[in-house]
Amino acid sequence: MLEIRHLTKIYDDGTVALRDVNFQVPDGEFMVVIGLSGSGKSTLLRCINRLIDPTEGEILWDGVDLAKLKGDDLRNMRRHIGMVFQQFNLVKRSSVYNNVMAGRLGYSPTWRSVLGRFSPQDHERARQSMDRMGIMDQAYKRADELSGGQQQRVGIARALMQEPKMILADEPVASLDPVLAHSILQHLERLNREDGITVICSLHYLDLVQRYGTSVIGLRAGQLVYQGSRDDIRELTDEQFKTIYGEEAERIGDLTGGIKGTVGGEP
Amino acid sequence: MSSNFGKPIDAQKPSVVSPAAAAIISLVVPGLGQVLAGSFRKGLVLLASLTSIVALWYWRVRLVGRLEPTFPQAVSKSFYLQPILLVVAIGMIVTYLWIAYDAYVTAKRAQTTSGFVVWTLILFLFFFLGWQIGDIRPVALVRDAQDAGPFMMRILWPWDRAISRPEELLTGTVKVQTPCVEPVPELPQEVAGEPYISVTPTCGDLSKQSEATGTTLTLTGRNFAPNAETEIWWQDDMGNEFRQRQAGEYITVMTDENGAFAIDIIMPYRTIPQSDTREFALWELQARQVASLGAAEPSAELLISIEKMVETIFLGMMSTFFGIILSVPISFLAARNLMSTSWITLVIYYVVRAILNIIRSIEPLIWAVIAIIVVGLGPFAGIVALTVHTIASLGKLYSEAIESIDPGPIEAIQATGANWLQTVMFAVVPQIIPPFVSFTIYRWDINVRMSTVIGLVGGGGIGFVLIQWIRLLDYKAAGIAVWFIALTVTILDYVSAEIRARFV
Repeated sequence: MLEIRHLTKIYDDGTVALRDVNFQVPDGEFMVVIGLSGSGKSTLLRCINRLIDPTEGEILWDGVDLAKLKGDDLRNMRRHIGMVFQQFNLVKRSSVYNNVMAGRLGYSPTWRSVLGRFSPQDHERARQSMDRMGIMDQAYKRADELSGGQQQRVGIARALMQEPKMILADEPVASLDPVLAHSILQHLERLNREDGITVICSLHYLDLVQRYGTSVIGLRAGQLVYQGSRDDIRELTDEQFKTIYGEEAERIGDLTGGIKGTVGGEP
Repeated sequence: MSSNFGKPIDAQKPSVVSPAAAAIISLVVPGLGQVLAGSFRKGLVLLASLTSIVALWYWRVRLVGRLEPTFPQAVSKSFYLQPILLVVAIGMIVTYLWIAYDAYVTAKRAQTTSGFVVWTLILFLFFFLGWQIGDIRPVALVRDAQDAGPFMMRILWPWDRAISRPEELLTGTVKVQTPCVEPVPELPQEVAGEPYISVTPTCGDLSKQSEATGTTLTLTGRNFAPNAETEIWWQDDMGNEFRQRQAGEYITVMTDENGAFAIDIIMPYRTIPQSDTREFALWELQARQVASLGAAEPSAELLISIEKMVETIFLGMMSTFFGIILSVPISFLAARNLMSTSWITLVIYYVVRAILNIIRSIEPLIWAVIAIIVVGLGPFAGIVALTVHTIASLGKLYSEAIESIDPGPIEAIQATGANWLQTVMFAVVPQIIPPFVSFTIYRWDINVRMSTVIGLVGGGGIGFVLIQWIRLLDYKAAGIAVWFIALTVTILDYVSAEIRARFV
């Protein structure tokens, strides 16, 4: 159970990114965060694994306040939380294999890992992760030789190496076309269902939210403006959508219907 | 070019004077009419341009006609010697009048202002002045080019200087007695293959001051080097050596194709001290030849060139090596993205950047002169100079590579729970290695090329001997050095391109 209490983040330049945000994420949830660009979605996700230090508030995860962790405790916490990024954030010139292996750094002794030495178990785990993501063939290619969808799967494989209890996905499909978007989200959904990994994922398209989310929170200008369960999402009206997204927002159209049939065929 | 060039900024301001008044004012002070007509900036630039053109023209006229007592005489003399100054003078008058006309048009706010013409005129005037100041004489390129021919040929094909044959002294000796007293000396035994000379007679009288000539001796030689100059020497019984002269000139004899010669010589004049009461003296007559025999071997110049070239390559290599080691840490201090966390680090960033820029703006040759003062002549001074310059330029290039790294992978690696060192090794290093390698090889390339000239000021390497040979007018030896430099730079260019292609 992840519980966010009174979370506030004010940047040095005075920008208020989050203001008194409160919500709970039960284990095994696929929670979607929606909101406009600049509404604080990325800041919220990065506060959870402390890539950004919150200004105020508590982040309680199984009773431990992540906001107060320092040093080794912070790093030990981070290795249980995988993260997937919009721009994939792979080291482009490194091989796919090395990128995936980097997910194991939190568990590896510093000097061995710096010299590129990982245990046989870690190598085996890397093979399994890549196999699961269907990128085994690409293992020795440079990361930037891969297509966007493949790169994001490398990103998920890297997160899997951490044996995560939770995955934070910061707009994981915003750089991908709709077909690949479904493919990636289905991978995340499978991890959520089969491995029981809690997923917190920010998304833009309401249709994807309705298809994959088990619960939703909406952010607007750093404040929590919507909170709904799986059933609530299905009934999320255009009106509610507009309160989150602002008046200019338009529904882009049902992406799921026409495309669903082709999702499985994506290599 | 648009016709209202230079006007957009202030074209809309109203004129405070009539068009005619603006023209007259611009005749008094060129450009002031435009200023009053509302084109403030244009007027000032016109004034500054025309003033500097007149000043430059005056300076050149004074310089060319510096022997003339008065200014008008200097002007006519300079027009005669340098007609281009006349062209500039005419151009100045045209521009001056055109500025007045331009003031009129500007004040009238006509759509067809004459900006293009006046700027073109000013541009041409500066061009002509530059031509005169730069002493540009294209005809000299053609007329005097042939003078460089012989030197160029020696530099372009110096290879006969690259080999030498060891020189050997061939000497044949025969005893000559003076004056003739029985028994006269016998001719030496001939040894097969050895140089041999014989003389008839084997005794005679020396030339005397009173009686003019002494006995004529017929000297024949065998087994010398063919077609080579042979010198005739005497050695008296005291061991003094002196060369045979005839009519005041040293004599030499050429051997024929069999290495034989024959020559008549008159016994030389020699003062015999009064105290010498001996009946006779036994002198030696020698035929000497310096012959280039034996197998060809690399000349000293070739060997020195090779040695110095190796030294040069290592000079470039060592300075690159030291440069890398020192510039890597400095580059982190000069990377804005790493140093903008607080104002203290930002100050360090600006200071380091400023120092790097100053160091980089001073050429390695000047650094070499400074280094020679500190560590003395030789390759170490060159290494110091190139290292200093390498630190500055690599520090800048490296820091720019660091500034351009993608922060995404860094946060991604941090998010896995990696510590600082792991993050650097997995997210930062892979991103900066390719540009670092590329810049380093580029710099190595520059350093080896620079180290070929760093010797010109005494910094070691091949430049050190190159400048000596040029000063000794030994253009063939210089040519060998130039060939080695060209060869090395070519190979290096290829190698560095290959390595860079592999890394980037």
